Amino acid sequence: MRILLAEDEAQLSRVLTMAMTNAGYHVDHAENGQRAVDLAKANAYDIMIFDIMMPVKTGLEALKEIRATGDRTYVMMLTAMSEVDDKVTGLDAGADDYMTKPFSLKELLARLRSQERRNEGLDQDVLQFGDLTIDNNQQTLVSNNSISLTSKEARLLQYLILNANKQLSINELLNHTWDDDDETADTEDVWFTISYLRRKLQSVGSTVTITGDKTGPFTITK
Amino acid sequence: MNIYGDYEETLNQVMADLLEKIQQMNQQAIDHHQPKLYEHLISRIKTPASMAEKCQRKGYPVNTTSALRKCKDSIGVRIVCNFIDDIDHCLTLLHKADWCSIVQEKDYITNAKPNGYRSYHVILDVTTPYRDITGQVPGHYFAEIQLRTIAMDSWASLEHEMKYKHNIQNAARIGKELKRCADQLASCDVQMQTIRQLINENN
Repeated sequence: MRILLAEDEAQLSRVLTMAMTNAGYHVDHAENGQRAVDLAKANAYDIMIFDIMMPVKTGLEALKEIRATGDRTYVMMLTAMSEVDDKVTGLDAGADDYMTKPFSLKELLARLRSQERRNEGLDQDVLQFGDLTIDNNQQTLVSNNSISLTSKEARLLQYLILNANKQLSINELLNHTWDDDDETADTEDVWFTISYLRRKLQSVGSTVTITGDKTGPFTITK
Repeated sequence: MNIYGDYEETLNQVMADLLEKIQQMNQQAIDHHQPKLYEHLISRIKTPASMAEKCQRKGYPVNTTSALRKCKDSIGVRIVCNFIDDIDHCLTLLHKADWCSIVQEKDYITNAKPNGYRSYHVILDVTTPYRDITGQVPGHYFAEIQLRTIAMDSWASLEHEMKYKHNIQNAARIGKELKRCADQLASCDVQMQTIRQLINENN
């Protein structure tokens, strides 16, 4: 993982950089908020760790600016401010996690590992279910034959499989497969996508089935 | 004298009759208010030179009996359909037809070839009013029918073109791209079929 650390205290920065480097991460250090914004613009990071009180630009200002560019990288705020209101302000400004100083280095590393696991889990390239293989890199569905999947089909199928044998309502599927900003999506989209998937399962010769009629609920079974 | 001997004219006759039978099947479907069976039909008699080459390759004696009996694709017809289900419909009708029997079926749609090729091949034994090479009347002639969708057909043409261009750089990489394209076209075929089905269900 590549980590951006924005922290103006030289001593703390050195300790954190060394600990994270020893844990196998690649760390870039910014000594103020503006430098953090510049680095975030130039490089792709897996995690960004920001102090709040920094010269030139505060961590909160830097965070807002970075989020405004559409950057969705996981951001952890690291700060002396421990008031509940400060935490709320930070999270509302777009932070994903918050640790207050003094903090345990052990805990910070454990949180990084947790986030790393999550990143890997979400980008799981290949998913197996019964006689099916879904390759998310190639967006293909493979059984005794192969066929392409659209991004929506891949996402819906993955969600169904991760919740196999459960009854999933049409609205649950809609909310998990279509983004909130896609206002034109409705339950009809779910039904079409389910219909495509059923036919594709049949076309690759799989025994996996999706049950449920037009209004749901839907269940995938081996 | 070419490998078909005295039978070249008959082969052309048999092929013309076969096309007419398939066209009649299509007209009947339309008369029954069903979707047309296919988008278009093409046909060919395998050239005497490539038939002779095939017999040699297979280790058969290069003569008319091999060309008409051991090889079963001297007459070839390709039925290019709009939708996947139309292929199944054609197959059902061919199975029912009294003027032919199906002697072999290869389903490369359910089991696409590793390169991505999709098509359904059947060998027909066609009963005809003409004398065949064993002297029988009505005589028997073989014909190979290939059934596929427009998407499968356009993929096969591109792949065919590529197979015969030996100077293609990075053929393995291009092959992989073509395979991916075949899977995408199969995906479109399934989507089109599903849309048609959903329209019909709503009416």
